[in-house]
Amino acid sequence: MSNVNRSPQTTGPWSRDWLDWRVVLTVLFFVFLAFTPLFAGGYYLGVLTIALYMGVYAMNWDLLFGYIGEVNFGPTFLIGLGAYGAGLCNTYLGWSVWACIPVGVVAAMIGGLLLAGPALRLTGPYFGLVTLVAVLILSQLIVTFAGYTGGEIGLALRDILTLSSKGNFYYALGLTVITALALRLIVRSPLGLILEAVGQDAGATEALGFSVTKYKVFAFLVSSFFSGLAGAMTVFYFGTASPGTVVAVVMAVQVIIATIVGGRRTIIGSVFGAIFLIVAGELLRPIGQLSNTVVAVLALLVLLLAPGGFTSLFGSRKERKA
Amino acid sequence: MDLLIQILISGFILGAIYALAAAGMTIIFGISGILNLAHGGIIVLAALVAWYTSQHLGLGTYLGDLVGIIASIVVTYLLYVLVILPLERFRHISTAEKHVFQLVATLLVALILQGVLEWFFGATPVATPPMLEGVVQIAGNNVPKNSLLIGVVAWVVLIGLWFFTSYTRLGKAMLAASMSPKGLAIVGYDIRKVHVMVWGIYGLLAGVAGVLLASFVGASADVAINLTAISFTIVVLGGLGNVFGSLVGAYILGFLSTITAFLISPSISQIPGLVLLVVILYLRPQGLFGRH
Amino acid sequence: MSILEVSGISKRFGGLRAVDGMGFSVQRGEILGLIGPNGSGKSTTLSLIMGVVRPDSGSVILDGKEMVGKATHAIAKAGMSMVFQHSRPLQRQTVLENIKLALLQDSLFQFGASRAVTDRAIEVAERVGLDKVLHQRPGSLPFADLRRLEVAKALASEPLVLLLDEPFAGLAPSETREFSELAIAMRDAGCAVVLVDHNVKAVSGLVDRIVAMHAGQKIAEGAPSEVTRNERVQEVYFGKSLGAVGAARCREQAIADDRLLSVAVESVHYGRAEALRDIDLHVKRGEFVSVVGLNGAGKTTLFNSILGFVDYAGDIQFDDRSLRGRKPAAIATGGIALCPETRDLFSFMTVRENLEMGGHAFDANTRAEQLEWVYGLFPRLRERAGQKAQTLSGGEQQMLTVGRALMQKPQLLLLDEPTLGLAPLVLEDISNVLEKLQNESGLTVLLAEQNLTFALRHSDRIYLIETGSLRWEGESRRFVEEVGEDIL
Repeated sequence: MSNVNRSPQTTGPWSRDWLDWRVVLTVLFFVFLAFTPLFAGGYYLGVLTIALYMGVYAMNWDLLFGYIGEVNFGPTFLIGLGAYGAGLCNTYLGWSVWACIPVGVVAAMIGGLLLAGPALRLTGPYFGLVTLVAVLILSQLIVTFAGYTGGEIGLALRDILTLSSKGNFYYALGLTVITALALRLIVRSPLGLILEAVGQDAGATEALGFSVTKYKVFAFLVSSFFSGLAGAMTVFYFGTASPGTVVAVVMAVQVIIATIVGGRRTIIGSVFGAIFLIVAGELLRPIGQLSNTVVAVLALLVLLLAPGGFTSLFGSRKERKA
Repeated sequence: MDLLIQILISGFILGAIYALAAAGMTIIFGISGILNLAHGGIIVLAALVAWYTSQHLGLGTYLGDLVGIIASIVVTYLLYVLVILPLERFRHISTAEKHVFQLVATLLVALILQGVLEWFFGATPVATPPMLEGVVQIAGNNVPKNSLLIGVVAWVVLIGLWFFTSYTRLGKAMLAASMSPKGLAIVGYDIRKVHVMVWGIYGLLAGVAGVLLASFVGASADVAINLTAISFTIVVLGGLGNVFGSLVGAYILGFLSTITAFLISPSISQIPGLVLLVVILYLRPQGLFGRH
Repeated sequence: MSILEVSGISKRFGGLRAVDGMGFSVQRGEILGLIGPNGSGKSTTLSLIMGVVRPDSGSVILDGKEMVGKATHAIAKAGMSMVFQHSRPLQRQTVLENIKLALLQDSLFQFGASRAVTDRAIEVAERVGLDKVLHQRPGSLPFADLRRLEVAKALASEPLVLLLDEPFAGLAPSETREFSELAIAMRDAGCAVVLVDHNVKAVSGLVDRIVAMHAGQKIAEGAPSEVTRNERVQEVYFGKSLGAVGAARCREQAIADDRLLSVAVESVHYGRAEALRDIDLHVKRGEFVSVVGLNGAGKTTLFNSILGFVDYAGDIQFDDRSLRGRKPAAIATGGIALCPETRDLFSFMTVRENLEMGGHAFDANTRAEQLEWVYGLFPRLRERAGQKAQTLSGGEQQMLTVGRALMQKPQLLLLDEPTLGLAPLVLEDISNVLEKLQNESGLTVLLAEQNLTFALRHSDRIYLIETGSLRWEGESRRFVEEVGEDIL
């Protein structure tokens, strides 16, 4: 065995190195977040809670897009199934919060399998179309059966996670950290290498002996598991489930933008992107109507000038362009 | 009987407007490969500018329409130069990811357009004053002359488009570009110039669709997304890149929506279109007339 | 017992029979070469064996087990590996990671990195000569290293059968030798190797047996020397066997040394691959010059350079003006018309519309005249004037391509492999037209061809191109004597 340099140099995208200074920064950031309830009031915690849930949605979008290369234009299909699955269970069956959440998760995972089917057969823009249609159909169904689902106004749930804003914040933070760790574990492992291979060149990966179907279905199941979980927890945070908060196309767009602006294919970048979007939206609230527009302009600028997202800004020039 | 006539006429006119909107989107896709999600926003922009100029500034419908169409063309070129071209130049992004970036970018532009339009013009639906006053009797029904004029104008533009691509040099070059860009280059056409022209025509078509819409049913900033979705559905239904397909798709969708709105309820008039889209995607993803 | 037995496999793509009843067997410790001209179905055959494309019929038996009908990944796991014609590395991963991937199991439960896998990957990398670039990404690697990476990926799983699709394309002679040695090492280790390539010479020196293909069928099988001398094989490669190659062209009057086109290209790169190297050629006004060579030799790249579709180092002069940096559209309207190998017709436009597109730069009257002239040369096009281009037969499409180019009233006509896949009768038609053109209008022509007979019949001079550089140049009549059999 020759004297070969076994360890790679510390160049390349963020997702590769454990003891990178950027990883350290991230950990510090989360530690800082964990202490925010000590000095921040209910309003700020509320904003951060929403941002963190958005971060979880976005991380799961990144798994599908950044790794196995499937563009999901309707992540809120999965989120919405998780949300309404749990919500309907609580309202009509009266089960406790922690009994309903798994129901939501299962509903979302079934949705994930439904999407995986077309993903295996359709390519390019066509799969994206199917996901978009899925969201539109789900929201139409909710509105049409308003008698059961509460329609656009929403479904009032019997229980909630907790009244305390600190408690809700920690639930969200906990979910974010667990999801981030789980997804990072997957993408940094040999399994993650296979997933990336499937995303970049499914044909060549197939020829190396990997059943592409297996990995795509797996990615959809994982993504829908965490999306559904987050969706279910979200409705128990709000106390209501409505299309506008968990299914709407507008929200789907926010999820996608959060990942791209934060940095695709990094998992963690999605959290930063989500925090940026939600916090920026709140900060701009005083200017009223145009706040969403300004955020969209900022997102567009990031996309055009630094397509690698925020996380790439902490890297080399080359990374920024990727 | 009355209902049938009403459905036929409404569906006919709506179909023509839809066809104009979808034709632009499908041409751009066929030649540039871009699926423009800001499409509805541009149409609504034209409609609202037309309304503002004709009603608010009191300059009359015809001038208002003209200004609306010009606005559409200007914004389309801005989109092309500021967003589409820079994205094309990204080197380190794979083609597949580039498509997603284009979609997300145009989606962001759609959101920006909607926000700006809402801020400037408010959220209430507005319509331009009719170009022609009065009604006409068709089979015992009162049909506004304006509506008929709209249908006629839409068809004139559609026929003009067909004439343009079949008989003029530039139009044929456009058609050829969607079939073989290399072939076009080797016979001596500058592809870049063809692209610039195509975007201009797209702006024109979207502008006309917008001003006609403003005259027929009116428009407001929040219908932009719906318009994009409808155009999108028609384009996929007819076959990406196929203008004739879009025409057929537009009428299918136009009549489906109209029939649903008249016979069941206006609020779910979008559903049949969605269902149709899903069916098509499963059975024949390339659409009715698609070739790829 | 053969480790791989292929029998009766066939595949139709629409109306085209790409592979028709192919069969052969390979033993362990043997290298089999599969040769044939462009379009003969060699690559498709490999794809069928690998399961990337599903055969319509036939059987592929690997180590006693039937593979037809199985998914590609199952076939790969059974012991079949393939090196594709075009490198397909994972661009975002390093060389080491690319090789590691090839060593992983097809299992979801791989959450921990394994040192054993990394060690083995490094071993494989050293074997193919990639140990210096382990941590680089494919984007920064030279072409030969990318090919080495493809080989590494295929070798890593220690396959029973190794399929190599055009392994030598784009490689310099020294690299070709190195890859040959790798193949030999694999064979000596007990692997069965099936090798497909256009470079018959390189293949002959390496393989134990050759199978020759044409139009999807096997036409010869045996030792390399036998097969290359086989008349049918020569006929298929050159249009006629070398013994009966047609007479070379002889002009009565010599052509004046008025150079219309002068090419002085130092190099052309497609990504990392060097496609052309030190090409010095010229075409005189009124001359008919041919660039002959097998596929992958660089003929199309040459044409793409002339028209400005690819970047090159060097200069190309046309009509005493440099073409460097000019756009293809400008070069085309400047007097050069190209008939590409891929024809690039406007499929949904009629014959007439296609022709008129060619003459778009002229006023209606001139265009009408040109159209008449072209119809005169190709009466069949007049018959089919209202038909859509995609409904025409192959020969008619070729005529249309030439016709469209002629509509441009060019000074120089570039013809890229016009005879590809055409029936002899159609070839005759096109041949006659070219003769007529030269005699009547003194059109300058640069032809790129594999079909020697066709080339010799029309050309004043010939350039022989091999793996991107010129090997021989001179008058047609000297070609057979001086080059002759060497070409295969």
